[in-house]
Amino acid sequence: MIDAGPMREFSNIVTTISKLSKECVLRVAEDKLYFIVSDENNGPAPPILWCEIPESMFFSEYQMVGLDDEHKDIYLGFGAANLARSLLTLKSAKSLKMKLTKKQCPCLTLEIEMPSSTSQQTRHVTHDIPVVVIPRKMWADFNEPKIPYPDISIELPPLKQLRTTIDRMRTMASEVVVRASAEGRLTLQIRTDMAKVSTRFKDLKVEAFGGPIEHSDSETESQVNEDMSRICYCRVDAKKLAIFLSADQISHNRTICSIVHKKLIILCLQTQENVRLQCFITGIVY
Amino acid sequence: MDDAVSDYYFTASMDSGKTLCSLLKAIQFQESAVLCALPEGLKLTVEEGKCVQASAYVPSDNFTEYHVRDNVDVMFKISIAVLAECLNIFGSGEESSLKMYYRGEGSPLLLVLQPQSVHNVMTDCEISTQTADSVLELRDEGTEEVAKLVLKAPAFLGLLADLERSCDVIELKLSPEHPNVSIVTYGMQDRSCIDVPKSSDMVQSFSCEEPVTLRYQLHHIRLIMKALAISTKVVLRCSANGLLLLQLKLEKEDQRQMFSEFYIVPLLDD
Repeated sequence: MIDAGPMREFSNIVTTISKLSKECVLRVAEDKLYFIVSDENNGPAPPILWCEIPESMFFSEYQMVGLDDEHKDIYLGFGAANLARSLLTLKSAKSLKMKLTKKQCPCLTLEIEMPSSTSQQTRHVTHDIPVVVIPRKMWADFNEPKIPYPDISIELPPLKQLRTTIDRMRTMASEVVVRASAEGRLTLQIRTDMAKVSTRFKDLKVEAFGGPIEHSDSETESQVNEDMSRICYCRVDAKKLAIFLSADQISHNRTICSIVHKKLIILCLQTQENVRLQCFITGIVY
Repeated sequence: MDDAVSDYYFTASMDSGKTLCSLLKAIQFQESAVLCALPEGLKLTVEEGKCVQASAYVPSDNFTEYHVRDNVDVMFKISIAVLAECLNIFGSGEESSLKMYYRGEGSPLLLVLQPQSVHNVMTDCEISTQTADSVLELRDEGTEEVAKLVLKAPAFLGLLADLERSCDVIELKLSPEHPNVSIVTYGMQDRSCIDVPKSSDMVQSFSCEEPVTLRYQLHHIRLIMKALAISTKVVLRCSANGLLLLQLKLEKEDQRQMFSEFYIVPLLDD
């Protein structure tokens, strides 16, 4: 890896991932790198984060050999924070070489070339990050998640703006209801004994709408002047949402929020380099 | 327009809720405050025990629109933390316009906020209100004022910050003789003293006829530090019964003024 831009991005992506989870799986495939995070409490369960990085946009040289022709991938498990910390220096580095090496234990070796501030010569820094090579029989745990067809997909307003609002709300309540309408409105709402706070965004681009949405009347409060069949919502943990929103560090093209009514929120961030970061936040149902 | 307004006990709007928010945070040492909308302005009061009473006062000319219905008392208890968070919902970097509505006793306080730079977003808040407990009436018109000092707020803040935190008691000695003001703290093993003569840069005016010594809990005095940090000027008034009144003028860019006010009850002699 020799370009400054992608190196910075790569570091930002890993930092974001490290905030979401301690453990992380890197899947090295023929043409892509995948970062996969599973829910720590639930054991083998659908991942909560799925990030695809196309190798051609990032790496000047890329070689990998899989197990055999049918199993071309390599799956590595490691502490996300370790990698994030090692990659911090990338912001000023000249080049990065990543290798899978066998030292006392399998290691992901990073060779970083740093410019020296005092002379023309460069310094070479090597980081070894211990990894666990995940055996083939467990690969199935890290398959691409099968996503239920979302009821609505809507473009999100700037993440930074969204994040300040969620952070404020988070101090008042632990859960937030995300509501999206086919008319391009997005509402974040919290409700406590003390207050009810709703932040409404309008004129957002609706990418897809699967509706009409069926609401059972008992649990839906009636909204004046709004066609409920064109609105879907999902109640989620405010903290999880806030963490994903810290992905605004990664320079991105656009972010799409998809909602499976009451069940799931999928946040998908896409960058210029075709990196796709998806986050799955399951809904809280009473 | 008038029809819509008259439905409510109280309505107000302002171009930026930011200053109001920082003023609230300065007196936010208790969970709830008593909000009182008077025809002259909006006042929020917080009390600590029966010893300290802090108020934020926003004169009505700070609002672009301010309306309190005649013949009603607009007074209720509200969570000051929630109110401050709501005012700050778009972050401190954002100036957002604010509208307030209060329909009547028992109804929530409604806030509508809209950032000035982004147009496709707004927030509305319903903050529940409770019937207010009575607010302490600390001011006693009959008691005469024995000393009055006007100090520069940043310098006074620096002085308070220098005081040893572990001390419980602060003693304020005021006298017409040099060194006009001396601030003494007593700790476990030490006694420290700061003298401020009236010729000092931080003293803008000083009046005191008779020497007077007053003792307060340092913890109570420290409550004003947040407010000092956002103010330019502080007026200290001591009355004969020892009650200390501090009036702080908020630092603001425009001409309109906001204030905070602290009443602090003295320690009695053993």
